Amino acid sequence: MIYSPHGRDLLTLLERRFEDLHPDVDVRWLDMGSQEVYDRLRSERANPQADIWFGGPATIFARGAEDSLLEPFRPTWATAIAPHGRGPGDRYAAAYETPVVIVYAEQAIRPDEAPQDWDDLLDARWKGKILIRDPLASGTMRAVWGMIIERGSKQTGDTAAGFRWLARLDAQTKEYVLNGPLLDQKIVRQEGLVTIWDLPDILLSRRDGLRLGYVFPRSGTPVIEDAIGVVRGARHRDQARAFVEFVGSVDAQLLAAREAYRLPVRLDLPADSLPPWARDVRRAMQVADVDWDLLARRGPQWMRHWDEAVRGKSR
Amino acid sequence: MSARSGWFARAALTLLLAWLVLYPILVVVADAGRGDALATFVSRPGEWGALWASVWISLASVVLAAVIGVPLAFLFEWLEFPGRKTLGSLIALPAVLPPFVGVVAFLFLYGESGFVARAVQAALGLTRAPWRLQGAGAILLVHAYSMYVYFYLFARAGLAKLDASMLEAAQALGAGRWHTLRRVALPLLRPSLAGAALLVFMTALGSFSAPYVFGGGFRVMTTQIVATKLNGELPLAMVETVALALVATLGLVVLRRTEGDDILAALGKGIGPLRRPIRRVSVRALATATGWALAVLLLLPHVTLVLVSLVPYGTWTTEALPPVLSFVNYQRLFGEPERLRPLVNSAWMAAASTAAAIAVALAAGALVGRRGGRWRGPIETLVALPWALPGTVFAVALATTFGAAQPWALRWVLVGTVVLLPLAYLVRNLPVTGRAVLAGYRQLDPAVEEAAASLGAGRWATFRRVTLPLLKPALAAGGSIAFVAALGDFVTSVVLYTYDNRPISIEIMGSLRISELGVAAAFGVMLMLASALVLGLGARR
Repeated sequence: MIYSPHGRDLLTLLERRFEDLHPDVDVRWLDMGSQEVYDRLRSERANPQADIWFGGPATIFARGAEDSLLEPFRPTWATAIAPHGRGPGDRYAAAYETPVVIVYAEQAIRPDEAPQDWDDLLDARWKGKILIRDPLASGTMRAVWGMIIERGSKQTGDTAAGFRWLARLDAQTKEYVLNGPLLDQKIVRQEGLVTIWDLPDILLSRRDGLRLGYVFPRSGTPVIEDAIGVVRGARHRDQARAFVEFVGSVDAQLLAAREAYRLPVRLDLPADSLPPWARDVRRAMQVADVDWDLLARRGPQWMRHWDEAVRGKSR
Repeated sequence: MSARSGWFARAALTLLLAWLVLYPILVVVADAGRGDALATFVSRPGEWGALWASVWISLASVVLAAVIGVPLAFLFEWLEFPGRKTLGSLIALPAVLPPFVGVVAFLFLYGESGFVARAVQAALGLTRAPWRLQGAGAILLVHAYSMYVYFYLFARAGLAKLDASMLEAAQALGAGRWHTLRRVALPLLRPSLAGAALLVFMTALGSFSAPYVFGGGFRVMTTQIVATKLNGELPLAMVETVALALVATLGLVVLRRTEGDDILAALGKGIGPLRRPIRRVSVRALATATGWALAVLLLLPHVTLVLVSLVPYGTWTTEALPPVLSFVNYQRLFGEPERLRPLVNSAWMAAASTAAAIAVALAAGALVGRRGGRWRGPIETLVALPWALPGTVFAVALATTFGAAQPWALRWVLVGTVVLLPLAYLVRNLPVTGRAVLAGYRQLDPAVEEAAASLGAGRWATFRRVTLPLLKPALAAGGSIAFVAALGDFVTSVVLYTYDNRPISIEIMGSLRISELGVAAAFGVMLMLASALVLGLGARR
């Protein structure tokens, strides 16, 4: 049993391939938001239903590890990923890299007109045209908020700078949308023209015909490490370990990249085996320097402060 | 029944109800009292804001729903015009609009890029959408639309039981039509109206979908609890839960005060007033046309939902109407057996929980329905209490209580098992079935049962052959409402579901999460049809 925010596409894909390899195992999954997985695992602690926690920013996994929701397991592929991708005590490991991008309605904006960097979002042109996914409920948005606040505090030594920036963004924002797909709909229906979201979802939506364009912010974008871990007290521990082992295998990493637009975390994959989009991403993307540990520690506090003192106050 | 075994049965029922209804709440209250979460709650203005927003939105919903529902009830119960019967049942249909996707249908209809907004924009030649559907106004619109039905149905039922002779008496004493309405008819309707007000207040207080979809920055307590939980602050979420429960209990107490059952005796005797046909041809035509226009207006969200379920993914963007329609979403739904599972799950859980809720209600009715004695108060209060507890509150309470293994404290680990969710449905449905059955028992003439007994029928035979058939209308009405509520429940399910019992509403949510709006709408249409069918069956006498 897998709890995952990865969506039907990727999960079905991996389920089928894994079941082909292990005919005796029946893979089941429940798809839910990344914060919801954490919340659910906590409330099921007395009687864990999940065996694997698959997907969601490593920051949430870090909190899960602190709450003893995860069991140590070091897959053989752990040596093939960057060291910061391995969680403390091997309680989780990064499986994919998920970059955040600026998204725009392709039918309304030419690519060269679209905002090219975070600060461009504060341009008067976009006032009232920006829609934002509710940051409390979204790991992706939390990562962006965290990056902005950390950036401000690196420059000025104080988190206030980041919050001031977010207040200016708040003044530009037309609406905070609580549900990701509703946000996509609102953008293609041009209720708003610009938003921020993660690349794999946008690529999937484009494949399915939604007219969404995207830009890698010039000054760098947070790249979220999407992690995987075995749930503590898992009933099917051996199968769970086999699945984790499988997700990091060269085969499954390439499969996810080709079919579900997931950027592999393994560093040892030959470049020419990656699909063209992934090579483009690696070329075009600037990675922002984010202190994920700090974000994991201070994130909830920052989000609470933003929710109370910034959200909706500047309009 | 000997006095002794009767005492035991009543005590056992009271204890069972207390364990199911009261105990989980007490556990949460105890948890909330620990630590500094309470201090955090008190010191944050945002929390008070959300609590206040919940209260005033709920009160405003009651007023709006009454303003729409009560005149409609008079119109359909007192006047005769062509199409009255059909229209009369069509008008109750907002009740079957499924949660969540129903709200999304509203978005597609009245939202700023919806049909209506686009049509107005085109008609007036505006460069931008004429309005935005957001914040408190949007929430109230959805609430008024979906909750006036309670006032409409309750008031109609009350009017049908009204004794015409009382109205005639008033008129004979010289009271004008308006005076009669104000001084006789409305006071006689008071219990029905108070009941509806209570139901609307509680539903609005616990409403989650509308604030979730339309709220934006406008936060009510239900969405606040979810936000807090998602932020990982569990103790604070508990305090918020308790705060909401307190407000709800307060509402229950106040509204029950106004209910007053002293004049109930006047109801249910004599014959209802005859409907007055509208004689002027022009007025009659106008009334009929208005009636149908209203019905169309009320059915627009349903039609929108059906339409959205026929739109293949990503084909509908800035056009006024969807350019492509097909059954592809339904094919996906029926093509994969895994996707049908939620339909089956919801059906069995709704059936099981409704049956159990009826059984408990019957037990309560049989034990304290007529001669209550001192157990009557506690049992009736416990049966009604879940009304005062919004779904989120109850779900969190159950998850907490049954997330620990302490058999000596009557707590077992039920989290993660398939029984917890139906159990929650059962408790949530107790007020509906309980009220229906207890009211049914009160209207029962004891002479009938005594007659059966004197003719030699045993206790069981009397119950099966006399009491049960007499209670059938009440059981059908209460049971069908309970079934539909469980079938479409979202707020409780989202906290308590597991893989093996994931219900329709969760599948709808999941489909929405991965952008399968059409599939979500198709699920919604199925839910809508099933609900309408069951309610239709329940309303048949």
